[in-house]
Amino acid sequence: MQKVMIVEDDPVIREELTLLLKNEGYFPLAVTDFTTIKEQATKLKPDLILLDINLPGQDGFSVCASLQMSGGAPIIFVTSRDTALDEIKALSLGADDYITKPYTIPVLLARMKAVLRRSEKKTQTSDILEAKGLTLYLTKGMVSSATKSTVLTRNELQILACLMEHAGEIVSRADLIETLWDRQIYIDDNTLSVNVTRLRTKLADLDLPDLIKTRRGMGYQL
Amino acid sequence: MTFSEFFSDRLRYIIFQAVFVMISALFLLLTGTQTGIVLLLFLIWLLLFLLIQTMDFLRCRAKLLELASILDGLDKKYLFTECIPKGRTIYERKFTELFRQAGMSMIGAVSDAEAAKREYREYVESFVHEIKTPITAANLICRMTDADTRRKLMQELSQIEAQIERVLFYARAEHPEKDFLISQHSLSELVAQAISQHRTLLIQSNVRVETKDLEQMVFTDSKWTVFMLGQLLQNAARYRSTHPVICISARQLKGQVELTVKDNGIGIPSHELSRVFERGFTGSNGRALGGSTGIGLYLCRKISSLLEINLQINSTEDVGTSLTLTFWTRENLTKM
Repeated sequence: MQKVMIVEDDPVIREELTLLLKNEGYFPLAVTDFTTIKEQATKLKPDLILLDINLPGQDGFSVCASLQMSGGAPIIFVTSRDTALDEIKALSLGADDYITKPYTIPVLLARMKAVLRRSEKKTQTSDILEAKGLTLYLTKGMVSSATKSTVLTRNELQILACLMEHAGEIVSRADLIETLWDRQIYIDDNTLSVNVTRLRTKLADLDLPDLIKTRRGMGYQL
Repeated sequence: MTFSEFFSDRLRYIIFQAVFVMISALFLLLTGTQTGIVLLLFLIWLLLFLLIQTMDFLRCRAKLLELASILDGLDKKYLFTECIPKGRTIYERKFTELFRQAGMSMIGAVSDAEAAKREYREYVESFVHEIKTPITAANLICRMTDADTRRKLMQELSQIEAQIERVLFYARAEHPEKDFLISQHSLSELVAQAISQHRTLLIQSNVRVETKDLEQMVFTDSKWTVFMLGQLLQNAARYRSTHPVICISARQLKGQVELTVKDNGIGIPSHELSRVFERGFTGSNGRALGGSTGIGLYLCRKISSLLEINLQINSTEDVGTSLTLTFWTRENLTKM
């Protein structure tokens, strides 16, 4: 489990982040003593540090500098200071990313993942999804059943990917739309319906009709 | 100052002199002085009088020119009274002194006002930064509630965020110089950022966003540009029709890139179109819908002129509105 150190002086955000990261499968380390951040970091050896700038005692910049000196974990600044100067200062001090508050949870998680992936330098081979007898090739934009395969459009691909990631669960239309917007597909409710219908036709061609079930008033289910 | 102005200014004095001369001449003639001598005296007087008046005129004009050039050279015109030379005559000196006192009080008032404005701006900036912490916390807490409540709360929070963002940029637009960073950015990246900032509003409004040909690089400041695009997206979502579609596309021109944000919303009446960039202008749409502040497009125009981006608006009622931003594709050193 990857350890994420949270350096944040606002107790509510600290607790919520701790909970969120725990749920997302990280091991959160919340710092409450801001005078010995460097010592705690050397002792606990986190894989990633989320660092606020406005801290009691010393500011995040000097913390970042001292952490970099000891050659520690990658650092993401998470702060409400959003001037260009602050961002440059943070990045020039060796921070790996700079997120401004208020951020949305998907953005935070995505950027954490990106930084972790970079620091581990291991290529993730998550471009193939499998569920319910379907295999989805994300990079190729293809889906195949046991016998046949077909090409999907970008929208169809992402809809199916989202459903397959939550195979067996009900995914509400609103959640589906939000996920697609996060992946830079900006569709409305109607377009979603149209795309799901097309996707069903294509799956029927793979001899898998009715694979996507409509749960009235709740959403879709694979 | 022309000679005739000078002349009419001194008319009373000249008439008085002429009357005095005539009475003197009359007195001399009556007391038996020869006509020739009187005439000679008159000519001498006339010559001297004209000479003195001309010299006066020239000196007066030179002085005024000097004052005008002092005023011209001043960056802050209200410092004029501090820079003028003391007068030559007692009247000029007293006059200058009075003006200097008036000027001092104005300089004091101006610097007080500037200090108050700066303090206020600093307060607004720190307020915005402080308020972001509880908003972030609220965003995180939302995750714990059920999907429906979460969505509703997120909508409210994103509205708060959007308003606060506007406050911040309003304060910043007054003194933008300390916060600029012009560098190369990809349009698709900027657009994606703006959309993601306002996704809650856009999804809630059931908007479809189409992006086209955005793989272009432009020179601009990313934060300010994303803010501007955000304002345009918010407007498009606010003044939407029943099946809203926003189309964001780019077109390459010579040395420039044109980015167009086009919606199929309710549009703006043609007679109001020239006023939409005015501060506080809400228009008939804004009044009909309510909650319009007339600040968004005003800020866009201000920011775009600071960034040397050309901002154009086109609109047809019931058909839609399109805003076009024209960026530079290469570094334009004049704007730094």
